[in-house]
Amino acid sequence: MPEISTQLLVIGGGVTGLGVAWDACLRGLKVVLIEQNDIGQGTSGRYHGVLHSGARYAISDPGSAKDCATENPIIRHIAPHTIEETGGFFVSTPADPIDYPDRWFAACHEHGVYVEEIPTDLALRTEPSINPRISRAFRVLDASLDSFELLQTLVVAIQRAGGQVWLRHRLEDLTLQGDAVVGAEVTNLTSGERITIRANYFVNAAGPWVRRIANLAGIDIPIALGKGAMIALASRPVHTIINRCRPPSDGDIIVPVGTVAVLGTTDVEVESPTELAIGQREIDFLLAQCEILLPELAKSRPLRAWAGIRPLYRSSGEGFGRTRGLPRGHVLLDHNDRDGVKGMASIFSGKLTTFRLMAEQAVDLVVEQIGVGLSCRTAEIPLDPERTQFFQLPKRFEEIATPDQTEREQIICECEWVNRSAIEEAIKSSSSLDLDDIRRKLRLGMGPCQAGFCGYRAAGIAYEVAPSPHTDGRLEAFLRARWRGLRPLGWGETLRQMEITRRIYVDLLHTPETQEPPQ
Amino acid sequence: MTEIVVVGGGLTGLLASIFAVDRGAKVTLVARGRGGLTLSHGCIDVWGKATPSRALSRLRMSHPYRLAGAESLRTGLEFLRDLCHQADLPYIGNISRNLRLPTALGTIHTSALAPKSLALGDLRDNTPITIAGVDGFRDFYPELVVANLLKAGIAINDALQLPLPLSAARRDPYAMDLARSFDDQHFRDEVARIWKPRLSGIKRLGVPAILGLFNPQLAHEELQERLGMALFEIPTLPPSLPGLRLERLLQRKAMEMGVFVIEGPKVLGRVDGSAKPARVSGVVLQTAGGGRTLTADIVLLATGGVLHGGLVFQQNGRVQESVLDLPVSYDEGRQHWTAYSPLETQPYANYGLRVNEQMQPLGADGLPIYTNLFCAGGLIAGADRSGEGSRQGIGVATAYRAIEAALG
Repeated sequence: MPEISTQLLVIGGGVTGLGVAWDACLRGLKVVLIEQNDIGQGTSGRYHGVLHSGARYAISDPGSAKDCATENPIIRHIAPHTIEETGGFFVSTPADPIDYPDRWFAACHEHGVYVEEIPTDLALRTEPSINPRISRAFRVLDASLDSFELLQTLVVAIQRAGGQVWLRHRLEDLTLQGDAVVGAEVTNLTSGERITIRANYFVNAAGPWVRRIANLAGIDIPIALGKGAMIALASRPVHTIINRCRPPSDGDIIVPVGTVAVLGTTDVEVESPTELAIGQREIDFLLAQCEILLPELAKSRPLRAWAGIRPLYRSSGEGFGRTRGLPRGHVLLDHNDRDGVKGMASIFSGKLTTFRLMAEQAVDLVVEQIGVGLSCRTAEIPLDPERTQFFQLPKRFEEIATPDQTEREQIICECEWVNRSAIEEAIKSSSSLDLDDIRRKLRLGMGPCQAGFCGYRAAGIAYEVAPSPHTDGRLEAFLRARWRGLRPLGWGETLRQMEITRRIYVDLLHTPETQEPPQ
Repeated sequence: MTEIVVVGGGLTGLLASIFAVDRGAKVTLVARGRGGLTLSHGCIDVWGKATPSRALSRLRMSHPYRLAGAESLRTGLEFLRDLCHQADLPYIGNISRNLRLPTALGTIHTSALAPKSLALGDLRDNTPITIAGVDGFRDFYPELVVANLLKAGIAINDALQLPLPLSAARRDPYAMDLARSFDDQHFRDEVARIWKPRLSGIKRLGVPAILGLFNPQLAHEELQERLGMALFEIPTLPPSLPGLRLERLLQRKAMEMGVFVIEGPKVLGRVDGSAKPARVSGVVLQTAGGGRTLTADIVLLATGGVLHGGLVFQQNGRVQESVLDLPVSYDEGRQHWTAYSPLETQPYANYGLRVNEQMQPLGADGLPIYTNLFCAGGLIAGADRSGEGSRQGIGVATAYRAIEAALG
């Protein structure tokens, strides 16, 4: 079995793991990161897109509020290209508790979270489609943050700094020598090959899988998995992030991000990290709650629904199903201190906004334990934007709209303006031929037609670029992944769109079904 | 003279109007938008999964084909074929053996009738095939077609890419844009001149369906002759030319035969409250100036299913018929409506109106709700047309049967 050694092995290719790997690279450590699927396929790629100001947690979770307030300007400094300056409002609707805003306002001040009360008519002039009956309005420093852009930037930064990011590598087992973790058995899921990775230290940043990974070292971490569902609208009825001014609960935020607006979220405890199905009642509840913020919501077309899993630390022995009450702050477990197992730490929970701080604290621990490494520099060194604001439509438009018509490029995905060469490049640079990986890189198929047109085109281009006998099921898998996000919203206009997809791929193209069992 | 209002301007509604006017009725066709032909391959799928003439008699009694009867299908298809022939868009094929036509994905589409320019691609014919794409067209990928056909064991030569004598476009051309170029005689001359030297030794050439909209038969025959080989078309992503050609043919034919066409308004039904048994008295058009009443002796609904608005699927888990709120057969609760993959059969595709052999919508008691109301096409329950490969066949058979029952 091939064997490699490194100083630090990071398990998990979400924002936490990538943050840890980036931080460690800057401190001069030799780093390998393994991810069982694709970058951001777990929780990081399934969030609503808010760079939190901290205001949301001022009362319920002051620790998180403070962390968000400190990290917010740092993220703006190091990754401005991932951020759209939407600003944020907290508004009190007639359905919200009347005494809450004053308590909340005081708590924000106490914990250093910027908040400013503004006249309600100013809020309504800025955002005419929100509920005209709001009684209070506050401005906060929320912004929308494209996690795919941030994750891709981190991958490139890590690779340029000499770190390695291995996708589609699954951790099978951890090897212990005495009371220390010393090695990891890993399967390359593309080739089937087994590899041993020896490392001085292991950071478990596997998100919802954090408990499963810890178990491999004989350690138990009591966690609860809180599923949060979100709905993207096919339009942006607001351009500011709108929060309801009330204790955190279901359906209290609308986030304009890219071409869509995201309604979030719910909180339902689930048993497994892959339990991502969304119930009809979750959808109805989310829409009904957000309709209070946005009375004309019913006129917008829901585009897609998805769910992400928050791994929450169940420190207090709360019963199953009570995830809303669990703290959202991040947790760093030194398994030497806690369990007497050397060479490994777990870092999980927390917010996307606080990923850098989480990484800093985790790598501080790594450096302390292995005795080498510089001090943290992630707060000062901006991430080199790989393709500046590539995920924002105006930037894409600039890229595509050349005055010289002879060099005009084919637009393959018209909803998201993805051109042919971007797809060709993504296929060439990727080890997999999965169209869904290309989607995460380029936003292919994420617009209103949900791959109805571009799915066929991308399959055709993929074949031309990388002719492969293993093309069976590639298109169906992509269509099915898109369909999964449409099904919870399968009524009215969305169902009509789904039927168009069917007319194209069944009636017209006779796309073959593969015999993959349902998940 | 019997006055009939047909609601819906897709294949079913257009055909029903033509059938009715042919039987001497005065017909008004009200179409809110366009039907499914722009999305379609332009062929008449009758039963894709097996030989139609044998399979249809074994279907369950509630299937639209069984209710309409084999004779309606046969006569309706014959009528349609004659119509197309007269209008210079000949259709080839029959229901005793399906054509096997290559798709733009390199899979095989089995269909009963296809326009001649598509039917020449029939894979039961062993003449070797070459597939060509055209430069700058993003809706057709010849290499993918060839690779998948080879995998299916079809003898196929090669994929190639052909240039078009077009100046640089300001946007990516759709099949429709290219077809408009092919309508032009000079353009076709130029194409033949450029293509000819690149195609030596080729016996049968498949190209994306872009060879003209207004006079496709002429464009096809002319190019075929100039190139000296069998030339066939493969339907592309929508807007799909073969479907558009058929739509245009039927619209012109209907108007020529005297069908009065009203395009645009949403339609609501109008019930004659005093009549026993119950009757509809016509429809109300939701026009800009307000409601406009159209009285009729007979109303035929060809409003389609989910896609075209005949059935409205609601968030509350109910499915509503849009013109008269007729009872719909469906599963309550939207979690039941769709399947795991878009390629599987979908429960929602089977929902619709229950009808009798006269194509009259039935109430819970199994009796016609209104004596002079009929329906046809995608609105009728009991078939997943995509999964069966039966969409156009059901449209033709039920349209024919409904008009026959209504007008005698």
